[in-house]
Amino acid sequence: MLAVFAIILSLFTWQLVKVQWIQADEIAQKATNNRLTTSKVPAARGEITDSAGTVLARSVERRDVAGDPVAAKSFRERSTNGKPKGIDGVSQELARILGGDAAEIRATFERADARDTRFVYLAKDISPAQWSQIRALDLPGITSEQVQKREYPQGTALAPLLGSVNAQDVPGGGIEQMLNTTLQGKAGLHQVERARNGSEIATGENLDRKPVAGRGAKLTIDSDLQWFAQNELAAQVKSSKAVSGEIVVADKAGNILVAASYPSFDNNDMSTAKSENLQNRAFTDTFEPGSTQKMVTAGAVLEEGIMTPKSHVEVPPSLKRAGRPFHDSHPHPTEYLTFAGVIAQSSNIGTILAGEKLPKEKLYTYMKKFGLGEATGIGFPGESTGIVPKVSTWKGDTWYTIMFGQGLASSAVQQVGLFQAIANGGVREPLKLVSEVQGGDGAMQPYTDERKSTRVFSAKTSKELVGMMQGVVTKDGSAPKAAVPGYDVAGKTSTAERYDSVKGGYDGVTAGFIGMAPAKDPQLIVSVTLQRPQAGTFGGDLAAPVFSKVMAEALRQRKIPPNKSDKLPFPIKYRSEESTSK
Amino acid sequence: MRDLAHLDLGLLVAAAGLSLLGILLTWSATTATSGSSFAVRGALNVAVGMALAFAVLRLDARTLRAAVPLAYLAGVLGLLAVLSPLGSTINGSRSWIELPGFSVQPAEIAKVALGLALASALADTDQVRGALARRDVRVGLGLAAVPLALIMAQPDLGSALVVTAMAVSAFAVAGLRARVFAWLFAAAVAVAVLAFTTPLLAQYQRDRLLAFWRPEADPSGIGYQVAQVKLAIGSGGWFGQGLFEGRSTQGGFIPFQYTDFVFSVAGEELGFVGALGIVALEMFVVVRTLVIGIRSRDAFGRILCGAIAGWFLFQSVENIGMNLGLMPVTGVPLPFVSYGGSSMFSCWIAVGLVGNVHAASRRRIS
Repeated sequence: MLAVFAIILSLFTWQLVKVQWIQADEIAQKATNNRLTTSKVPAARGEITDSAGTVLARSVERRDVAGDPVAAKSFRERSTNGKPKGIDGVSQELARILGGDAAEIRATFERADARDTRFVYLAKDISPAQWSQIRALDLPGITSEQVQKREYPQGTALAPLLGSVNAQDVPGGGIEQMLNTTLQGKAGLHQVERARNGSEIATGENLDRKPVAGRGAKLTIDSDLQWFAQNELAAQVKSSKAVSGEIVVADKAGNILVAASYPSFDNNDMSTAKSENLQNRAFTDTFEPGSTQKMVTAGAVLEEGIMTPKSHVEVPPSLKRAGRPFHDSHPHPTEYLTFAGVIAQSSNIGTILAGEKLPKEKLYTYMKKFGLGEATGIGFPGESTGIVPKVSTWKGDTWYTIMFGQGLASSAVQQVGLFQAIANGGVREPLKLVSEVQGGDGAMQPYTDERKSTRVFSAKTSKELVGMMQGVVTKDGSAPKAAVPGYDVAGKTSTAERYDSVKGGYDGVTAGFIGMAPAKDPQLIVSVTLQRPQAGTFGGDLAAPVFSKVMAEALRQRKIPPNKSDKLPFPIKYRSEESTSK
Repeated sequence: MRDLAHLDLGLLVAAAGLSLLGILLTWSATTATSGSSFAVRGALNVAVGMALAFAVLRLDARTLRAAVPLAYLAGVLGLLAVLSPLGSTINGSRSWIELPGFSVQPAEIAKVALGLALASALADTDQVRGALARRDVRVGLGLAAVPLALIMAQPDLGSALVVTAMAVSAFAVAGLRARVFAWLFAAAVAVAVLAFTTPLLAQYQRDRLLAFWRPEADPSGIGYQVAQVKLAIGSGGWFGQGLFEGRSTQGGFIPFQYTDFVFSVAGEELGFVGALGIVALEMFVVVRTLVIGIRSRDAFGRILCGAIAGWFLFQSVENIGMNLGLMPVTGVPLPFVSYGGSSMFSCWIAVGLVGNVHAASRRRIS
């Protein structure tokens, strides 16, 4: 009898020693792993503001609610008070707080149950307040995950500039992508031991690593002005039946105030976004700039002392170069224009006559000095460098077409850079989108990079170029519609043949206008570009009116005092057509 | 108070200690979901059980002997009632009778009744050279067979095995020829073979027994339970994670932990020391019962203690064994520790009976 007890006792003791001592670590680890659930606690993303501090993008805490159909069945299991039990009861309680349809939640539960799934999302993006109400009910099997939702208060007006982030905090284009390392925080870790029904075990070993919030960024953008510009752009793209358009506004110092792109998308609801609209065309669309490029040619001619704005240029109706005839946009008899007049009327022939006095290499050097054919250095995602063919590749009529902006490609932002240098007395400032970023200590610090300002033209040349461009915005020029009441405006139209990469040939035009104001001391540069308009053709007709509105608004918002003289700095013609016929 | 002095103090302390542990472990295992309600019910069960034990203890020998046929009849009637529409089915067994506010498990009462009946029947015999006469063997087997058959009809394999163990130890104490034992053993083996090859056992019972051999085969059923119990006990270490601190327990990973798997609560929360303490206390209760039986001068007391010792021994070994993964899972409670009114009552009545036997010997001596 004693032997039986000894055997039983030693058998149990041995088994206890084996399980609780010899294999204890291994078993305990396995048990812990069984219970342990690790979840990432997303970090808040840095806030993006405009130059005035208006919030353009912010992260808000949200909760995704999930349920376990098996656990939910135990709800009010033993209740006798007649209230709905189990999945039905849980669904009704949730719907009461979330305001949805209980039948829908129940159906979600039941589908999950049918698949033998013990985890199913019941509601997404609910507020922390709603979640605390739900949590107070202590519903079995109902858990939540913390998520960060990105909100863009301005929606479509700034979407192509700001881009978006997905639920995994991965940026999709725009500033979000460009400044991702700054904006993105470091996710925290929430490790808890969970009970079988999914609730946290109070006595468990929990680990919490707090998320580190991302750092904020302040842009050079003026969101009010961008909103205004976006609306004007949208209206004009629609009325001119263009495929797309972009507006860029910059100040003299190279700060980009507006980078609007249309058609846009709503970055608050990416499901509705079309992929071709995700880009910001001001940076990504390259097109043959057309006549705005004439300012490089004219500037080079002035800078090299070949001509002055008052130099006489006799412009024939047609000019034969490189074995082909060149024409101006509108047929005309022989005209007697000043060099300023050539720019004011945007004469291709006049530009060739002036430009061909300049060696090819010189023209190329100036184009490069303006940063054409190179990225701006802003680092905007998908920004294109444009194309400036090397002189050695210029064949046939390339030299002549490049003088008036065909045969090379650039983006709207690059063209704005060109006008910025002219507005700024010939000094090209690096274009900037970001003014400040938050440092590790939370304080805002100036955002700097390696780029330096460079002189392209002398102050005298720049001033003369501005004066010549004032002639554009007159009844004798190509864009009287660009005029802004109360201000002298200098600008340049362009109506360029548009290369369609899909069709592999020219199709339609790019109609644009870039200008600056006040002409006496230019503060702001506005560029309006419309791609392939169907109703109307010319930059002076389609882009100039939009320029006028946006420039007027920009001047008003920036409180730049009106400044208007009635006299043009340079005459447009040195002799009228009538006098030749005599 | 006169009665108390006659009671075996060691047995009382061990049983009371186990009961107290049982209340605490039940509390710990249920606090996450039910607060203290199970602990309160458990304490009430122990109090009622102890009151019953004292009542039994106070009976004099003649009254007790006279009450045996009544007790046996009551036990059998209870088992019949559970098979009638009065009974209700929980976890595949028709083992309970639901009464307002609580439920009764007649098989537990039948254990007490069978112990008394076997002691009574086998004690009043003319022994031939210390062995039972064939007629008495038949009567004893008959007395055991009726509750056994009724319990198997529920079906409740655990209780059936306990009843068998009681009968075996009662016969062993009463003196049964080795040859007859061998025959009975052969019959038992034959029944076991039949159980696994014919639909005599319910499918869930066969699954349970088979899960013992391959716990991983069925991770969500019994195998899951066995695996989780092992994880819980293995996480306890030498001194446990602390009462109310065991994470498998508090996390509710072991279904019905406070009844059949209460030992695993001790394993996780009280560790090796606590678990071994429970083993030692249970063994002490068995040994003490046996010792009192051996010291008893009359055959009735001896056989009764033998049957009760067999009952406690089998239940302890089976319950702790299945918690430790040494035995297949059959639903038997750990005496005094597992939550459950009927089991607690019958165990304490058994303590009262053993105390009664002890008191009777003491009185005779003095």
